[in-house]
Amino acid sequence: MATGIKDRVAILGMGCSKFGERYDAEASDLMVEAYREAITDAGIDPSQLQAAWLSVAFEAMNIGPSAIPLSMALRLPTIPVTKVENYCASGTEAFRGAVYAVASGACDIALALGVEKLKDTGYGGLPVRSRGLAYDMMANSGTAPGFFAQIASAYRAKHGVQRDDLKRAIAHVSVKSHANGAKNPKAHLRKVIDEATVLNAPMIAEPLGLYDCCGVSDGAACAIVTTPEIAKSMGKHDIVSVKALQLAVSNGWELQGSGWDGSYFHTTRVAAKRAYDEAGISKPREELSMFDVHDCFSITELVTMEDLFVSPEGGAMKDVMDGFYDADGQVPCQIDGGLKCFGHPIGASGLRMIYEMYLQLQGRAGERQLKNPRLGLTHNLGGMPNQNVSAVAIVGRYGD
Amino acid sequence: MEAPMLIPPYPVPSNLSQPFWDGTRRGKFLLQKCGACGAYRWTPQWLCTKCHSLDFAWVEASGDAKVYSFSVVHRPPLPGFKAPYVVATVELAEGPMMLTNIVDCDPKDVKIDMKVKVTFDKVSDEISLYKFRPA
Ligand SMILES: [Zn+2]
Repeated sequence: MATGIKDRVAILGMGCSKFGERYDAEASDLMVEAYREAITDAGIDPSQLQAAWLSVAFEAMNIGPSAIPLSMALRLPTIPVTKVENYCASGTEAFRGAVYAVASGACDIALALGVEKLKDTGYGGLPVRSRGLAYDMMANSGTAPGFFAQIASAYRAKHGVQRDDLKRAIAHVSVKSHANGAKNPKAHLRKVIDEATVLNAPMIAEPLGLYDCCGVSDGAACAIVTTPEIAKSMGKHDIVSVKALQLAVSNGWELQGSGWDGSYFHTTRVAAKRAYDEAGISKPREELSMFDVHDCFSITELVTMEDLFVSPEGGAMKDVMDGFYDADGQVPCQIDGGLKCFGHPIGASGLRMIYEMYLQLQGRAGERQLKNPRLGLTHNLGGMPNQNVSAVAIVGRYGD
Repeated sequence: MEAPMLIPPYPVPSNLSQPFWDGTRRGKFLLQKCGACGAYRWTPQWLCTKCHSLDFAWVEASGDAKVYSFSVVHRPPLPGFKAPYVVATVELAEGPMMLTNIVDCDPKDVKIDMKVKVTFDKVSDEISLYKFRPA
């Protein structure tokens, strides 16, 4: 009987490029920027890398097909390199590949790197992917904001919430992320904003305005993993280990008159339950120290707090307004600025979140450092509310 | 020289979805019905969502639905769409839910649980899009 991967794999080093409009850099520059920080942090020679995973969601934009772009950019020692794509969960997928390789005993040291270079489109949202059955059946009139905004309408209907009350709660979600992002030198958007700015911004898809939507960014993030035993033998201390890695992918259940009410993410609930089982967590609200969740839209973050079983169902608005998720709250969320402000280079985002948890757990998060964090959770969601991929990763101090 | 006309991208029928688009072109709203358990499904798929049977038939559905959730898109994904317009999830009388547009109605008047009926929008000789209007 499988028992999961808790504490079988340690993070040896991580790196993250500056996110933003990186017209100064090619994709290979971004990869090298993240990699150099990670390998210096790991303190190993490149020849010790035994396998690698590359994640990128829009390969046609500046990256190119196959795993060769990563192997070439890093001059990897002719090792197995695999490219993965799973929408916004792509970065966590690359991490999962490397972690499973080490957990299985196939490799001592493996690397995961995610990259995306999207700002050359000159467009704030995702490049349109017009083909494939799901998009064809929808005739492409839906936008990402248009799909996710429907979560807000369904949430209001289910919980009897007034439009303006919900709008104010999701505004606080964005105000908080901007406050955090302003303290992060690698973040794309570093500007403190107030509630009025959010409420008065141009409407994108009712009730989501400009500041309820994250944009896309250029950037890369990288992790190097090994076993805790090897990390210790290299003299590492304050070791951060992987407690759980889970992924749930829709199979169409949501749309089949199955009882899904459109106000939450089924896959996130499934992935979170499995991850808590794997990590041995029974009371996430009390046990987790911090989160980085997939705030593609402010409403996504709000309902995700319930889908991760931190806020009670229908209780996320109160927690948000009480400051429960603020930097000085009980369980800070998006302490690095989140997708909203750190930025969203799709293929790198999952690894970027783990990067922040890793820095926090090692006490290296600078101005953003939280007091004595022990367990951090990251969450990605890719696709539409009714059919998507959801990844949950939990990392924490080894030996706790 | 005239500027090229901007049109939204239209669906490309696949082996699986061709019967559906043949139906909308003839003004008929077809759904797959499982030959084993009788469940209707959406989007088109080879396997039944409920029982995994490969046996199915395309049958004419009522076209009746109600609004499950919706939003009003002010910024469309591409030029060629006329914003604002309503994107919605509707629950079909047969059970499945469907992403669509609500038309022939002021966006301000769309409500959750509102009864709607399928309607077809012929955009080319090959493709008639399915949309819903107040019933
Ligand atoms: Zn069936």
